[in-house]
Amino acid sequence: MATLVLDNGAYSAKIGFSQETVRVIPNCQFRSKTSRLKTFTANQLDEIKDPSGLFYILPFQKGYLVNWDVQRKVWDHLFGKEMFKVDFADTSVIITEPCFNFSSIQESMNEILFEEYQFQSVLRTNAGSLSAHHFFSSRPSELCCLLVDSGFSFTHIIPYCRSKKMKEGIRRVNVGGKLLTNHLKEIISYRQLHVMDETHVINQVKEDVCYVSQQFFKDMEISQMKGEENTVVRDYVLPDFSSIKKGFCKPREEMVFSGKYKTGEQILRLANERFAVPEMLFHPSDIGIQEMGIPEAIVHSIQSLPEEMHAHFFQNIVLTGGNILFSGFRERLEAELRALAPAHLPVSVLQPPNPICYPWEGGKLLAHSPDYDEIVVTREDFEENGHFICEEKFDI
Amino acid sequence: MVLEKKTSARVEAGQRRVLDEATRQRRLSRQLEALEKDNFQDDPLSSLPPPGPTARLPAFSETEEPEKKRRKTRGDHFKQRFRKNFTTLLEEENLSDRAEPNYLSAEAPPSSLPPRHFCCVCGFPSHYTCTTCGGRYCSSKCLCTHRETRCLKWTL
Repeated sequence: MATLVLDNGAYSAKIGFSQETVRVIPNCQFRSKTSRLKTFTANQLDEIKDPSGLFYILPFQKGYLVNWDVQRKVWDHLFGKEMFKVDFADTSVIITEPCFNFSSIQESMNEILFEEYQFQSVLRTNAGSLSAHHFFSSRPSELCCLLVDSGFSFTHIIPYCRSKKMKEGIRRVNVGGKLLTNHLKEIISYRQLHVMDETHVINQVKEDVCYVSQQFFKDMEISQMKGEENTVVRDYVLPDFSSIKKGFCKPREEMVFSGKYKTGEQILRLANERFAVPEMLFHPSDIGIQEMGIPEAIVHSIQSLPEEMHAHFFQNIVLTGGNILFSGFRERLEAELRALAPAHLPVSVLQPPNPICYPWEGGKLLAHSPDYDEIVVTREDFEENGHFICEEKFDI
Repeated sequence: MVLEKKTSARVEAGQRRVLDEATRQRRLSRQLEALEKDNFQDDPLSSLPPPGPTARLPAFSETEEPEKKRRKTRGDHFKQRFRKNFTTLLEEENLSDRAEPNYLSAEAPPSSLPPRHFCCVCGFPSHYTCTTCGGRYCSSKCLCTHRETRCLKWTL
């Protein structure tokens, strides 16, 4: 029997059979200005030649699955003959859900997976639990780990002790990649060029030029300087989707400091935006979100747990999710935690090679573990016992 | 012709409308809500005339073999149960009565660090507050821009 691992994120689905490798696919539908009648699903995004003004139809709202119509269209596409060709009667699925998923969503999930798709067996879990499994299998001597999962909708801090999730220590910071992109869009639109309709393009800008500052106010000073001295400022060439397919940063040596280019491309000049946007992860209060930033929330989480565990948590902080890919994230987090943590405790923050797919890889390991059959719910089980058996077995 | 006279900022401040705390808070939450939006433009499909018999929407062709079976179960319960937005779902969970920890209790509490202030025009650290709306600015140049463009925007 095959096992399909699906880390069902609010923006991208990380999917693949446990024997194979992972693919990261948009978990949404799109409409474009050029072919207005067609709705593009998941990786059909690649078929859109001119993705300017791309319209998103997302199945998730604030990190929770609400739009099942869209989700099923995406799943139909992923499971179908164009992609994974799933033979449901002979397939087990590992699927992830957010922490504290609402019970009605959980029930809908059971019904759709068992009754509509008719999977042979299902394991519903948190992406964090798969990451924890990954961590503990690669470091069997560790007792605890603290996961920081910073995704599209929000950032979760989840402590695990010997693969058991410690619910009382979970903290959520309502800052994720979506908010960062929207904020960047907002400030660029106000300061330079109207880009409110260009989520897709600006998301790429964010991924290409934004970084986490190590010395925030120092960088602020530098980005205020004129000419050569300003080492922060970058000129970003926007794509026109005819000759320039993908936006890029002008190399430093080709930059014209007056900002007057003769080449005629459309340019965005980015200075403090480069690091002020990811800064929201560390100081949500900068834009008026009255919540702790990630470092403070980590300390708050650890302090709510038994004292003898503190040392273990501070030493095993694991980063997952797309926002971790901002360069400088790990260093900044480690430095801030060092300042906040008790002096006698060592602090160590681990960034896996692929923070987006770390949970998926954990799911892959779990699918091959000898007691996998014990932790799943089979279709017969569900038909016999209904939602109750899922509530019993799955730790969401 | 009326000649405009430059007045001092303080005298002028007395004449300008000053938003109260509740309005400022409403403005802020509207701004934060906007940051959660999926799209800011209209659906490209909605700007077209409704599809008539000649221009039918293309159906999804990638559905599986057990199509008929599925269609049946997609019946009316699907429409009611699977069409709720986040706020409705959150209300239905009745979390305030449920045992902690839950979705509400997991939210990170307010920071104990003092808030930092940035100019709402240029983004650099700011020292001054707009008397009208409470927005921050860093220089008289930015204040001018702010008053001309944003000062009373999003006010209900």
